[in-house]
Amino acid sequence: MKTVKKLLSLALALVMVLSLGVFALADDLDPEDPAIADLESIAEPNGDKLVVWTLAEDLVDFGKRYQATTGTEMEVVVIAPEDYPTKVQTALVGGETEPDIIVGEPQMLGDMFSYGAFADLDALGAQDYAGQIVDYVWEVGKDDSGVQRAISYQITPAGIYYRRDIAEKVFGTSDPEEVGKYFADYPTILETAQTLKDAGYRIFSSDSEINFFSGLEPWVVDGKLNLAQARLDYMDLVVALYQGDLTAYANQWSTPWYQAMSGPVPILTADIQNYADDSVNVWASEDEFAEATEGLQQAEVFAFGLPSWGVLTLRDNVGETSGLWGVCAGPEYGMSGGTFIGISELSEKKDLAWDFVKFCTLNEDVADWWITFSEGDTVSLKTVLEAHKDDENPVYGGQKLYAFWQEQAEGIDYSKVTPYDKIIGDAWGAAISAVKTGVSTKEEAIEEFYDTVAYTYPEIEIER
Amino acid sequence: MVGYKIKKGLLYAFLVLLAAACLFPFLLMMVNATRSGVEITRGFTLIPGTSLKENMDQVFKFFNPFRGILNSIIVAVPATLLSAYFSALTAYGLGFYKFKGNNFIFFMILIFMMIPGQLSLIGFYNLCSKLHLINSYIPLIVPSIASAGTVFFLRQYIISSMPPALIEAARMEGASEFYIFNRIVLPISKPAVATMGIMGFIGNWNNYLLPMILITKNEKMTLPVMMATLRSSTDIQRNQGAIYLAVAISVIPILLVFACFSKYIISSVTAGAVKE
Repeated sequence: MKTVKKLLSLALALVMVLSLGVFALADDLDPEDPAIADLESIAEPNGDKLVVWTLAEDLVDFGKRYQATTGTEMEVVVIAPEDYPTKVQTALVGGETEPDIIVGEPQMLGDMFSYGAFADLDALGAQDYAGQIVDYVWEVGKDDSGVQRAISYQITPAGIYYRRDIAEKVFGTSDPEEVGKYFADYPTILETAQTLKDAGYRIFSSDSEINFFSGLEPWVVDGKLNLAQARLDYMDLVVALYQGDLTAYANQWSTPWYQAMSGPVPILTADIQNYADDSVNVWASEDEFAEATEGLQQAEVFAFGLPSWGVLTLRDNVGETSGLWGVCAGPEYGMSGGTFIGISELSEKKDLAWDFVKFCTLNEDVADWWITFSEGDTVSLKTVLEAHKDDENPVYGGQKLYAFWQEQAEGIDYSKVTPYDKIIGDAWGAAISAVKTGVSTKEEAIEEFYDTVAYTYPEIEIER
Repeated sequence: MVGYKIKKGLLYAFLVLLAAACLFPFLLMMVNATRSGVEITRGFTLIPGTSLKENMDQVFKFFNPFRGILNSIIVAVPATLLSAYFSALTAYGLGFYKFKGNNFIFFMILIFMMIPGQLSLIGFYNLCSKLHLINSYIPLIVPSIASAGTVFFLRQYIISSMPPALIEAARMEGASEFYIFNRIVLPISKPAVATMGIMGFIGNWNNYLLPMILITKNEKMTLPVMMATLRSSTDIQRNQGAIYLAVAISVIPILLVFACFSKYIISSVTAGAVKE
């Protein structure tokens, strides 16, 4: 009993101490909050309430702004992205009417459409707005039968971020149009890589940079696995980049990968990158890393391949090379990510919810505010992209990025995206790794790839 | 004598090294809590950064960690106490009373130990939904009364360390069965109960899946669920420091509980080693 008493007293003491630190989270809006500070007045509560379940922090700010503008009380619940589909599915299958607004990323939408999570937006009048949103985003939000179910406020086309000063030195031009020609297709990229290496630079930090531009063919066509020639070409390119020492051998998102954004990095060897040689720890601290790589050749990296949100990643990491960057088109059109907003099928306040969806995605003032507030996110509303097409971004040498992204987004053909892309893409990535590091031959790796797909998706027909 | 000193010196040096290796990740966590996301992705260092304030602001922008700690305590403490007490009661009953079906019940408990909890998730959600227990702590606390693993462990412990003569003596003195359990069985099995209690507390504290599914109100979320929301930032790199800070805050209660009760764990390792 003594233990129990002790436990109890400890618990009570903890509760007491903690309750001193607890203060009620204010339900009322703080007029100083950055998301609404620029508004002249805050609307009085009108008695309505919407519940939002989101996986992106953005909707918290959208919610505050909506509440301040309309007076509808907004309850925004943020859920970790990896658990979001489970959470929503459990709740909706269980008949929960609470979330009025639900969201999804492109790769989740297929599943969510298939169990009927999203309400029909056409019934609420979505088609009146057709053509106002960038086309591919509008397409992503449609289910198999063409019914609009979700809309995104942002676009995420991919581009090649390159160093203007290096381009000037090596190619004699820093113009995005001209530099884009050096990334026009896979064989050209290989040539460009060699030219850059000969000039003492490296084309990419890692060999995964062109991954965003490798979706020229859909993975599955009419229930059949489609291992197109473009995929094999992409494999050949990655293997050639890797085996020809043409990259800096930094893994995406590792220490040297970030470092390469701000200046010269030591050129690692293939063995270090695939951890066969452990004399250098690529995840180590900057000082340690500098010491371990002393004597290795140093070089500057020319380019990174990232979607439009990479604008912010680079801005935070470029350091002194700020202003020396540019963005050009990749070998094909690609996209990755984006938050799509829709209404729960079980919501009892669909009309009000639709008003919120329109507020986030189809309202020019809001889109305009979002560009400023997010410090450079790329919105999906065509008129606003148009209005900002002359905005110059100082980090990228004054390049007019909104015009560029709009152009890239126009080329995206979303019909090539299938629900199998993530798993099959990962399996193909594993096959490429196996070939480039010499673990298996191309034929073996492809056989293994077929096996993986066959046991993950027995319904897909495979012609070997 | 000199040899002894050298030996002892070596031993201590080794132990210090071992302690350093164990503490290093904690230190790193504390240091990273004071650094910005960009600094963290650039690699590690033991020199504290200057971004503690920004990280704190970022955490508070997402949630109030003290509210989360309070919620977690409201769930974890009763769940642990219920689990410890009722498991000991069940274990004693199974271990010391001879009745028909005893072995069958024990066998069933063994089988239930092997079923992963995730399997019944949607069913459990539906049940809670029908009982209007969504956003309530009851489904997180009450089911811990039936913890198969704890019963199994305590039964083995009570059988091996409980002299039946003690119970017979108490019965002859006229003690009721419930009195015997509370006054004799529970104190004797204290080390095992405390061990399972600490394990249970850590388990409840870190429990993520069930609260994540069942709690949909921001102010009712437990700490791990709140912390997971930090990963929902568009630019994950910026939140790295805040994540470390939140983790650093969340381990404090576990460290406190462990510091208070670890001596029972140690005594339970030796207790029962010698049979009378």
